[in-house]
Amino acid sequence: MTPELLKRYQLTPSDNDVVLEHDRQLWQARFSGCGHFLIACGYDATIQRWDMTAEPPRLLSPLTGHNGWVQCLDFQPGQQRLLTADSWGQLACWPFADESPQPIWRLPQAHDGWIRALAVSPDGQLVATGGNGSAVRLWSTEDGKLQCELPHPRRVFSVCFHPDGQSLVSGDLEGVVRHWDLAESKEARRLDASILYSHDVDKERIQHCGGARHLHFDAAGKWLLCGGQKEPGGGFAKGTPCVLVYDWDSGEQRREMPMGDTSDGFSYDARFHPQGFVMATSCAFPGKGHVWFWRPEDDEAFFSSKKLPNGRSISLHPDGRRLALLTSDSPNANGRPLKDGEYVGGRAKIRVLDFPVTE
Amino acid sequence: MNPPPSNCRQLCTPREHTVSRRRLLGAAACAAGVGGLGGLLEPLVAEELKKQEKQVLFVWLDGGISQLESWDPKPNTQFGGPYRAIPTSVPGIHIGELLPHTARQMHHLSIVRNMHTQDNSHSAGVGRINRGDPKNRGVVYPYLGSAVAKLMGPTSSGLPPYCWVKPMSGGFKTADAGFLPAKYGALAFGDGKPPENLLQSDSITPEENEARNELRTMFNDRFADRRRREWTNANSYVFDVADTLMKRMDLFDESKVSERDKDRYGRHALGRHMLMGRRLIEAGVRFVKVNSYFWDSHGDNFNACESLIPQFDQPFAALIEDLHDRGMLDNVLVIAMSEFGRTPKINSHVGRDHWPEAWSVVMGGAGIRSGHVVGKTNQLGTFIDGQQYDIGHLFHTWFRALEIPQGMMEYDNNGQPLPVANEECSPIKELLT
Repeated sequence: MTPELLKRYQLTPSDNDVVLEHDRQLWQARFSGCGHFLIACGYDATIQRWDMTAEPPRLLSPLTGHNGWVQCLDFQPGQQRLLTADSWGQLACWPFADESPQPIWRLPQAHDGWIRALAVSPDGQLVATGGNGSAVRLWSTEDGKLQCELPHPRRVFSVCFHPDGQSLVSGDLEGVVRHWDLAESKEARRLDASILYSHDVDKERIQHCGGARHLHFDAAGKWLLCGGQKEPGGGFAKGTPCVLVYDWDSGEQRREMPMGDTSDGFSYDARFHPQGFVMATSCAFPGKGHVWFWRPEDDEAFFSSKKLPNGRSISLHPDGRRLALLTSDSPNANGRPLKDGEYVGGRAKIRVLDFPVTE
Repeated sequence: MNPPPSNCRQLCTPREHTVSRRRLLGAAACAAGVGGLGGLLEPLVAEELKKQEKQVLFVWLDGGISQLESWDPKPNTQFGGPYRAIPTSVPGIHIGELLPHTARQMHHLSIVRNMHTQDNSHSAGVGRINRGDPKNRGVVYPYLGSAVAKLMGPTSSGLPPYCWVKPMSGGFKTADAGFLPAKYGALAFGDGKPPENLLQSDSITPEENEARNELRTMFNDRFADRRRREWTNANSYVFDVADTLMKRMDLFDESKVSERDKDRYGRHALGRHMLMGRRLIEAGVRFVKVNSYFWDSHGDNFNACESLIPQFDQPFAALIEDLHDRGMLDNVLVIAMSEFGRTPKINSHVGRDHWPEAWSVVMGGAGIRSGHVVGKTNQLGTFIDGQQYDIGHLFHTWFRALEIPQGMMEYDNNGQPLPVANEECSPIKELLT
């Protein structure tokens, strides 16, 4: 199976790829459910939009009104609505396909500070948020009213709904993944991802490192992915980018998918391809990081590449023919590097690669 | 080894820093001349004592705390990062949101936001900053703690003048002394614990101990007879220090610390070490350094800051509050700093790199104006806008704040006169009370 997969599914950057650029770094770039838009968010508090039906893709006016960083976004299924959250605690709902979208609603203080994760429920009724505030919060997507608060005492990095809509998972700094029974609004169990966390390794380092940085289910809800950095270190934040795969029914970890070496960085995103393999990306110091494809059943990745380093997010177009890989382009900068007298910041590139048709 | 000084009297000794009978009588005579002894002697003596008991608590965040996530936030700008700025107890002064406790103590502190230093590497930068970046005269200068130990000596407590609370191992760290005699090095308490085997074994009787010490003294004297005194001083000094410390073993007894204080400072390493720092200052140590490592956040800077900075903020604010409540802040100079700041630019690994171009130092207490900000960076926080200061300016400022007499602003290194701080710099007047 894997040779056949490798033959069909691999990413090779070429000069013919569409590359969308932004003069600030970005955290996520996602295709909308309709596939007409690519939406991105990041370090400049704006939401960037491209019309992907145009050739080349056309940059649309940004959505503004957020503060700090916007690290997370998600679409409301079946609606042209986008949910976004920022590092100052604001949550907002947008009619993203409008020419000049204004928020349908916004909550300036949904959390006291950084909202790191956001997910919309499969039925589109709820949006879950996690970050500061020692709780995961569930809000109505209709009007932004608080529906439920689930206590999660450590810093929450990731949230994701199970495809059946009955369960939610939230992952924290210490690599604890809590499974929430939404019907009962209570914790059902915990999954152990503590390999993605470290603290006080040698009694000199007081930093709590790592965390369950992202969570994602496959479409059938059989597998849960949890990604981050295996045995993370502070300071340079070096460690092995890694995605863990859990059997959802049993809660047991079935696969560790490390990629890179111990001086690498974090896996910031992983998604299931409809063919059942995991597409993952990682980012570390400039020029480091991989894209890799790995079936949960296999012992090894069937594809990996260093030619697309510093990946922050990976998004498959609904038609399965294109894949948007967001990367960071920001060299290290000890000292006083100036370019033409200017102090230059980091940039983002979104490479839109052709991908085989899913059958 | 250094040859003996050609003119020892140019150097001060710790004894000269105690309040002498002659100086007291002089003060008394002066007071009598003005209006009789009764009402004036005490304030004068108190003032004299107060001068002599100036102390320093120096918090060193090794690796480089990000100024943008702490003392000089630039929210909602290109390099500002994800965090908000919060107001402080001083109207108009805002600091990073990760410092809520310190924000409430800002009226006791000042921030220097226009630090511009010369080295962007740890290997050279740590020493350069700790030594005040003097002009190169072919000697290794002492770190600030050793300099203060030399210039001011121990307080009347008799406790070692330079103590260092640090993670991991302790011991007597002579490297800090530079060209000064080794005895001006730091006595380090690893993880806040006393040196190993400090206490006398129960199996040794007082008589046996006395006999043992006599024998040691005899051997020491014989050894010293054939050598220059400064070579042997450090040896006997360590014994003297140990003897003083043995009488203050209560300092290392955590059961004597209230649970409330443990909670206020935090039970993590930096909280415990900062609390230890306060107790050493209360006990009368002249200069206490509290060290924290691994602030070098080249990767995942913001999550690092969210983990690290609160571990500094809580105990640092408690420390300032306690020193103020005890009436000690007038005499204790408190400094918190690193070897440099961090780049405005955020690298691909979500880290900030080394940035000596424009960074911040916070300080308060003895002789330092409170509730004040010195200097500014530009709108993006990339470079300094206007006047900039180097570490030499801070050394001059701190020595002035500690009321070290102008006549003592020069070391005698075996006949080689050496200014105690870079002579091209001067005190920052707006920082001084």
